[in-house]
Amino acid sequence: MSANRWLTTGNYFTSYQDEQRIFSTRLDKLIFIGFIVCLFAWPLLIKLSNRNMLVLDTILIAIVAVLGLNLLTGFAGLISIGHAAFVGVGAYTVASIIRLIGDDHVLVTHAWPLVIIVAGLVGAVVGAFVGLPALRLRHLYLLMATLSFQIIFQWIINFSTFFNQGQTISVGRVFWFTGKIVRKQHYVFWYYVILVAIVLLGLGVRNLLRTRYGRSLVAVRDNDRAADAMGMHPGLTKVYAFGLAGFLAGIAGALHAYLYRGVGFESFTLHHSIVYLAMAIVGGMGTLSGSFWGPAAIQFLELRVEDLAEKAGHYFPSNMNLSTALRPLTFGLVIVLFLMFEPRGIANWWRIVRSYVKLWPFRY
Amino acid sequence: MSYFFQLVVSGIVVGSIYALSGLGFVLIYKSSRVLNVAHGQIIASGCFITYSLTVWAGIPIYISFLMSMVITFFLAMSVERIFLRRLIGEPIISVIMVTIGLMSIIDGIIYLTPFGSENYSFPEFFPQTPISVGDVSISWTQLVGVIITAVLISGFSWFFKKSTVGISMRAVSDDQLASMSIGVSVPRVFGLAWATAGLTAAAAGGILGNITGLNFDVLQSFGIIVFPVVILGGLDSILGAVVAGVLMGLIQQFAAGYLDGNWGLNGTAEVLPYILLLVILLFKPHGLFGIHEIERV
Repeated sequence: MSANRWLTTGNYFTSYQDEQRIFSTRLDKLIFIGFIVCLFAWPLLIKLSNRNMLVLDTILIAIVAVLGLNLLTGFAGLISIGHAAFVGVGAYTVASIIRLIGDDHVLVTHAWPLVIIVAGLVGAVVGAFVGLPALRLRHLYLLMATLSFQIIFQWIINFSTFFNQGQTISVGRVFWFTGKIVRKQHYVFWYYVILVAIVLLGLGVRNLLRTRYGRSLVAVRDNDRAADAMGMHPGLTKVYAFGLAGFLAGIAGALHAYLYRGVGFESFTLHHSIVYLAMAIVGGMGTLSGSFWGPAAIQFLELRVEDLAEKAGHYFPSNMNLSTALRPLTFGLVIVLFLMFEPRGIANWWRIVRSYVKLWPFRY
Repeated sequence: MSYFFQLVVSGIVVGSIYALSGLGFVLIYKSSRVLNVAHGQIIASGCFITYSLTVWAGIPIYISFLMSMVITFFLAMSVERIFLRRLIGEPIISVIMVTIGLMSIIDGIIYLTPFGSENYSFPEFFPQTPISVGDVSISWTQLVGVIITAVLISGFSWFFKKSTVGISMRAVSDDQLASMSIGVSVPRVFGLAWATAGLTAAAAGGILGNITGLNFDVLQSFGIIVFPVVILGGLDSILGAVVAGVLMGLIQQFAAGYLDGNWGLNGTAEVLPYILLLVILLFKPHGLFGIHEIERV
């Protein structure tokens, strides 16, 4: 496509190949590459405090997890309220490797990319297993399957001594070619690692969505009988969606374990599953860019809520923990309000703005 | 042997409350095909309303129990009116997610009240000495709870079988278009289904609060067990909810009585229902009494 995408009023693709391209023009590709370079370059110029860097890293990890949830809920149409448990599976894979071979074993400190990938694969297997009822059932029942997985996961972690009964299992510092990553470099180093993971996984998911397997996810979501008639296997497609979501969640979990240098039960509760769901909804279900907007928006909101709770805490009795009350309240409200008034999420605002600019000075 | 019968008795006590709360869940699902994830939170709020009316406002328990049922009736109805009415016709997946959001909102509201952080317990209304038959004993509170539950469940069965409103609710669950054409107001039935579900939830909460005390975490986990119960019974069967409720109570009591402490197991009563749920989903997804829809994928 040579025409300027910003000025044309419709789609002028002349072949399917054109339409399926990830970057429709060379300019798009350049802008994208420039953007990625900026993301890699800015920490060299600006030094953020560890606290802010941690917030940023948390957002990025949430993006990886929400990419998975968005595949599952947005593209395949299967609600999951056990996504935090899938993330937990990744984190606890790292933890169990550490419990088995010790936290300063060379495998954990030097071959950590391998550990992260193993955690992703374990997540994929567990995800596919939980999704097995999909071979027979539709989405309503799968909600129950994910919920029960969440509860079973919490029980296993809380009652088995192998997982330290939910107490923190610490993860050692890792090595890079330059040597041990010390406290000062820790958050910046992991920023880069997570960024690389996001770029790879994001492009991977984007590519997946234009292949046969990705499109069959959307087809099964929209009408599974029609998809069946066209030769797809709806049940297997759903199990496969669960596997993919589990893979992404597992990677997010492993990154979480390394970033926080510890795995504790309290990061993977039902409440966190709902927060992930809120991120996916706010960002925009079934849109790739939504998985980036949602975590950022929710994390920002969470910081504001904590500030507010701290300030308002003076006016309330001291035995009341205001932030435990305000957090579920805000996330619940955000979920409900977005579903009622903007079901397509923040990603839709971008579309609105773009079409406004495109059509200006006309309304439509 | 008396240990066995003691477990049976307490299983039936817990199970009858499961039955009552499962009833409300099935009602909503039957009429509007919505899985109400927030049902446990409605049960908990029913319980807290009963407590605050009884203890803080000093109203006799008999009246406050009925009052909390009426209050929750209208609360649930307004929830339906405000949040779910405008989502009629939207994909069912977003309606379910709205109930997930509702669950979070009600959680937050309860954490704002004193009930979120502290434990309370009802004063004793009945004689303290338990009734004993041989070695098996049951406390008065439990006995009265079971009797109230039985009365309520049979009352509701009568209501659905015989009364006009109940019949119209069953009609809507059967075929919305057909019932609309014979003059049943479908939105009104949806509202009523939510309201009745709220009413049964408040009753279940009130009884439960008397038996176990008021701890939000306990009530919450109790609320989530409604899911395995209704799946075991079949999502759209009221009889199924009742039978499965009692069964689930028995299973939990037996697990706690015989499994815990052996083979290094602990807290099995909390997790067994969910393992059972996964197994049922795999092998008998329509439960014991559910309608076998041809919905294979």
